[in-house]
Amino acid sequence: MLPLLGVRVLELGYGIAAPVAARNLAQFGADVIRVESARRPDSLRLGGAGWLPRDFDPSVRRDTLPSLNFSSAEKRSIGLEIDHEDGRAVFDRLVAASDVVITNISEHALVELDLGYDTMRALKRDIVHVTLPAFGSDGPYRMYRTWGHNLSAASGIDHLIGWPDRDPVQIGFAYPDFVSAQAATVAVLAALRRREQTGEGAHIEVWQYAMALACLGPAIVAAQVTGHAPTAIGNRSADRAPQGVYPSRGAERWIAITVQDDAMWDALCRVPGMESLAADTRFATLADRVAHHDDLDGELAAWTSVRTDWEAAAELQAFGVAASPLLDGWDLVADPQLAARDFFHALPHARFPRDLVFGQAVRLSETPPLAEHAAPALGEHSRDILRELVGLDDEAIDRLIDHGVVHVMERDDVVLERPYLHWLRKMQRLVPWGEPTFDPATEMMRRLAEREEPTG
Amino acid sequence: MNGIGLLGDVRVVDIAGEPAAYTGRMLADLGAEVVLVEPPRDSPARRTPPLVAGRSGEPVSAHFCYTAAGKRSVTIDLTAARGRELFHSLVHASDVLVTSAAVGEMEVLGLGYDDLHATHPRLVFTSVTPYGLTGPRRRWRGDDLLGWASSGAMPSIGDPDRAPLAPGGGLAHMTAALNAAMGTMAALMARDVGGDDGVGGGQLVDISVQEATMSVAMEVSPMVVLEGGFDQRRTGKRKEAGPIGHYATSDGAVSIVAFMPEHWRALAEWVREETGVEEITSDEFAGTPIARMHYAELLDTWIEGLTTRYTKRAFFEEAQRRGITVGPVNSASDVLDDAHLHATGGWSEYESPDVATLRVPTPPLHLDGRTASVGNVPHLGEHNHEVFVGLLGLTDDDLLALRAAGVI
Repeated sequence: MLPLLGVRVLELGYGIAAPVAARNLAQFGADVIRVESARRPDSLRLGGAGWLPRDFDPSVRRDTLPSLNFSSAEKRSIGLEIDHEDGRAVFDRLVAASDVVITNISEHALVELDLGYDTMRALKRDIVHVTLPAFGSDGPYRMYRTWGHNLSAASGIDHLIGWPDRDPVQIGFAYPDFVSAQAATVAVLAALRRREQTGEGAHIEVWQYAMALACLGPAIVAAQVTGHAPTAIGNRSADRAPQGVYPSRGAERWIAITVQDDAMWDALCRVPGMESLAADTRFATLADRVAHHDDLDGELAAWTSVRTDWEAAAELQAFGVAASPLLDGWDLVADPQLAARDFFHALPHARFPRDLVFGQAVRLSETPPLAEHAAPALGEHSRDILRELVGLDDEAIDRLIDHGVVHVMERDDVVLERPYLHWLRKMQRLVPWGEPTFDPATEMMRRLAEREEPTG
Repeated sequence: MNGIGLLGDVRVVDIAGEPAAYTGRMLADLGAEVVLVEPPRDSPARRTPPLVAGRSGEPVSAHFCYTAAGKRSVTIDLTAARGRELFHSLVHASDVLVTSAAVGEMEVLGLGYDDLHATHPRLVFTSVTPYGLTGPRRRWRGDDLLGWASSGAMPSIGDPDRAPLAPGGGLAHMTAALNAAMGTMAALMARDVGGDDGVGGGQLVDISVQEATMSVAMEVSPMVVLEGGFDQRRTGKRKEAGPIGHYATSDGAVSIVAFMPEHWRALAEWVREETGVEEITSDEFAGTPIARMHYAELLDTWIEGLTTRYTKRAFFEEAQRRGITVGPVNSASDVLDDAHLHATGGWSEYESPDVATLRVPTPPLHLDGRTASVGNVPHLGEHNHEVFVGLLGLTDDDLLALRAAGVI
């Protein structure tokens, strides 16, 4: 029995913050309807899979970006233009049939499109209304635009990444958006629980800049007590040594090691090949190890660089020392730990027979999150939703489609397959993917044959 | 700042260490009563880095000063049988337990999920561990750096000529703690609201730091695999096409994200206006980032010709005025001076033992126009009387005896 069975969520989301919050709610059992414009689409509907030709049919391409699976798995999609009178009428009917409305459109757009709490509440008295403004709904920056990268910089996240002798570097992915999505999920769950108790809805805002700052609370406290800001010190810690990332055998293979206390230091000194460290006066106490960290790094690197990352990490862990290989995307897909926990799923997708979808990191023993289908094609459920929730018949729906107000999934005869599926099949122990239809060897032979017989 | 009373009927027992300390803090912000259970002496939570000098000269944990705000504190020695009895009583009177104990540690004390669930079926037991409670690496040790190492995110962070970098600031643990808060709320929903054949009872929430950290870095790890594994080149300060990345100012740097055609146009026009470089507005560079990819170095030089004329704050404000998405690369000290936060009640003040009054960013959730009130950080065992006598019904004599025996 899922936590949110019977709850309906209407999402008008772009990118990550609102969509990922809504995806969490879908995985907890809510019926999440994603309202998608084709005229001003979600950035994740632009571009498409990188291996599709540039001139590929855009109405199919828009369903193929893999990132859509982490933003929108388990959702239904209606293609709808809400800035059109008829589209807005449909939208209002959907609001009236929903429990939650969530959006991360800008403050500017919220006002322009009249999607604020008071308007939504007039349609559904106990609606839970959720917005995720970047800088909040008030203050000198409230109309400012951001992507995750700008918030990472403004909040101080980027400043804490880098080498002490160089400028900070960017985190490079939208950490602020994801943590805001997590906070919004918590807020919606708490508001729905209150609604059950009191019958009232809620007006919720998650200010994304504030959420990014909330993640750096300890650094902000440290800065105000000491009078100066913490700075980036590579992979080291100000309070623990040794700590760092060391090279292991192979190109671009690394291992991370943290010796967290004296007991773990003693354990490290018992690892075969590290015994000389115990008697080395340069490293006797924690203060010594901090002072001679460069020398100590040299000793550790000499040990790690003649072992593979997995060998080194496993041996250290066996002695009770915290260590891990630095995993990349391919390592994760083949990771036995993630496979044992069924983190990845091969789920049905309208454009692919099956597609790789992440699990939900929140694991619940009695009411496990759903893993039923990948992200929807744009407009995949338009007809169902319009019939079921707005009471329109096919004729009325066709009229809306003709006027460009409603979009449905097009070219459903086109079935694709990600070319790397065969590699994934071999690396993954998953529910069967089905036989791949693309074989790289055959494909290569075909291309070579074509080159030998030039056309035209 | 009237406070958010969303979870006023929920009591949380919090024995989490660094990986999940923020979970209880977030629930306290939302109005839950969060009871921190600490050892009677030498609480490790109060020694968690980063450490700063307190007023008395003793080291104080800035991490604790932040994550313990709004929590109550009781002391119980869980290694003593009488202490575990007391703990059982407290858990019985509560809805949630949050822990970051390693696999097996709670079971050894007779306080594992099965033990507690048997006598308290409504308990939500929330666990945060490096790899989760199941799987071949469940007994592996971890920390924040290792959380990042296991997440797939690191190969793309840092400079190409050096090792990959992990973000600082404890951000892997922070996202694990947020996942734990999500799981706790979902479990409370399932228990209290969930449908006709509702669970009615509690359950185990099992959070893996690896999985939680993967969940914020999906764009750069497994998603790469589905696109055929284009190499996760370390991007340093800037991506190759864009512009997306850091650009130097007179006093530091700004982050510019101007890959959208209209943002590029506005930026190029501004460069031309102020520095006189005409070529930057050429059609050669207009449109999508593909057009600019091969000229990155040249364009970056031109852009920095503009940005270095400004401080980071001035460039940020002018850029936003022109509709370009920019943010200053702020340090924690810059944040303390932030004009927007000052103007919007963005700071919350509270007391913490052995340091002056602290201010932290007001929590991000606004409910019906109200924000959370951040409560004070408790002294060690400050709420022993309120909880043991007031809630659990012990007498003052009981308390004296327990104290004498070193149990509390």
